[in-house]
Amino acid sequence: MLIPVNLTSSSSSSGGSLPPQLAPFGSDELILIEMQGTLETDSKRAGMMVGTLDIDDRTKKSTLRIGHHLLEGKLVNLPKPLAVLYRPPRPPTITEDDMDEEERSVEEEDVERDWAGAKKEQRGWDVVAVVKKKMVFSKRPMPMVASIPVAPGGSVVKK
Amino acid sequence: MNLKFGNDSADTGSFKLLELPPDLCKLVEQSLESNTTATWTIKGQTNDDAVLCTTNKTYAIRSIVLSNSVLVVTRPDDASTVGSGWEQEDVVIRDTLHEVLELVPSVPRLQVLNGLLRGREYDEGHEDEDMEDSQEGDAEEGRPTKRRKFTYDDARASLQASEMELDRGLRERRVLVLDGELRPIAPTHLTTVLELLLNYLVSLSLPHSAAPVTDLTLALEDDHEIKPKVTTQVMAWFGQVDDGLWSLNVNAVVKEIGLGILRAYKWWQDDPIPESVFVSKWKTAVGDTFEESVSLDLLLGNYLSQPSIDAFASSEPTLAYFPSSTLPTEPVARFADLFLTRTRWKADDIAPFLSEICVDNKERDKLLLKHARAITDAEGVWYTARMK
Repeated sequence: MLIPVNLTSSSSSSGGSLPPQLAPFGSDELILIEMQGTLETDSKRAGMMVGTLDIDDRTKKSTLRIGHHLLEGKLVNLPKPLAVLYRPPRPPTITEDDMDEEERSVEEEDVERDWAGAKKEQRGWDVVAVVKKKMVFSKRPMPMVASIPVAPGGSVVKK
Repeated sequence: MNLKFGNDSADTGSFKLLELPPDLCKLVEQSLESNTTATWTIKGQTNDDAVLCTTNKTYAIRSIVLSNSVLVVTRPDDASTVGSGWEQEDVVIRDTLHEVLELVPSVPRLQVLNGLLRGREYDEGHEDEDMEDSQEGDAEEGRPTKRRKFTYDDARASLQASEMELDRGLRERRVLVLDGELRPIAPTHLTTVLELLLNYLVSLSLPHSAAPVTDLTLALEDDHEIKPKVTTQVMAWFGQVDDGLWSLNVNAVVKEIGLGILRAYKWWQDDPIPESVFVSKWKTAVGDTFEESVSLDLLLGNYLSQPSIDAFASSEPTLAYFPSSTLPTEPVARFADLFLTRTRWKADDIAPFLSEICVDNKERDKLLLKHARAITDAEGVWYTARMK
């Protein structure tokens, strides 16, 4: 089985350049943010607000405010550069119900198989960026006492 | 600026992180900058450990699981900004990752090739195969179908090696690519082709540093029915083909022909050949022009030389075929094999059989120190097996 990894400069993964204050944390179009635990949500999360990310222009310190919690981040050099691989979504295919028996078997035969019978080509990945730094929020979130209008949607949950 | 969740990764594509060794990082950056497209390939069968192949190297892929999460953050893609309430500064989380892929340089995994190619030798008399194949279909319907051909493309798709490493591996194993199919050439047939090539070089009085390829292939085809595609591949193994001219690697050819003769006198069949007989046979086979290149040194690691024990016969040593390539690669097993073959070895005699498994003389001496015992007598230093 072969999975191509393409090194191309024409990436279609992002919607353009990031705000300039973020550029030092990764590449022009993409940054990596590392945090302890995971962001957990109950409901559908697409488009939901997570928090507010701020970068102090002078100290280059970053903070992330999620609900009542404040995270302090720093810039960390990666021990080894990371290539960020991106795989575009699977193109919409005809669902099985729409196909009758005949069509389906034709499609089965169309799949190129290699010597051992495995599917020959898999969907490939594109190298969209090389990142040498990451933004790390390594500490536990600090509760915020002051009552600031809270953005809904997310909360940090410890593992 | 606001950090938001992007659309579900099933709709917008997913991400992976791949740790880059310095040389690969340079490659990626160059290709991203210079706008050229290159492709690496992840290879493996479902039960293999995956490897990543560049054009000339192979890397094993290991997954490192992270306890932290890594968020991939970009600008929102167009589809998600269509909704309301998006600001200029907003960035989105495209994917949450818990794994980094690490690359470790690895040797090409070509050992399986030996098994895959077993029984597919190309030998004399296989020239007419194409015709047999085409008749087979209509004439003998009931015959069990022939084994599926194993092609170069199959090898490229299923073997975990980069293209350059695969090509080198095929060359070293003397595998012909005939109409895409891989066929290791039978050693005897290879010797025949090489001997013919040398003969024609002389009889057509062609210079061996720049012999026209077509002259030779035509001669071999007309007089001996050896296909040009076989001849040209053999020529490429034993020299350089440039601009239709073949520059022959004399030592490589002479060595292969010597091996071809020696192969008939296998050590394990207890049928050695006197050294002088062998050398004169060898010289005849390579012809006058290349006679002076004949030297037993070319065959080091492929033969055992036995001093004559019979006091009445000529005191000449005898030779027998004993290729180091058939010995185990693991040091302990190799030493065990060597000491089963002979109970004691002179340092110079054992050295050629160790060169494959150590990078330099220093490492060889270390191996000898570890796995053998040195005894000095009037004749010099002998190595014997260590007592268990």
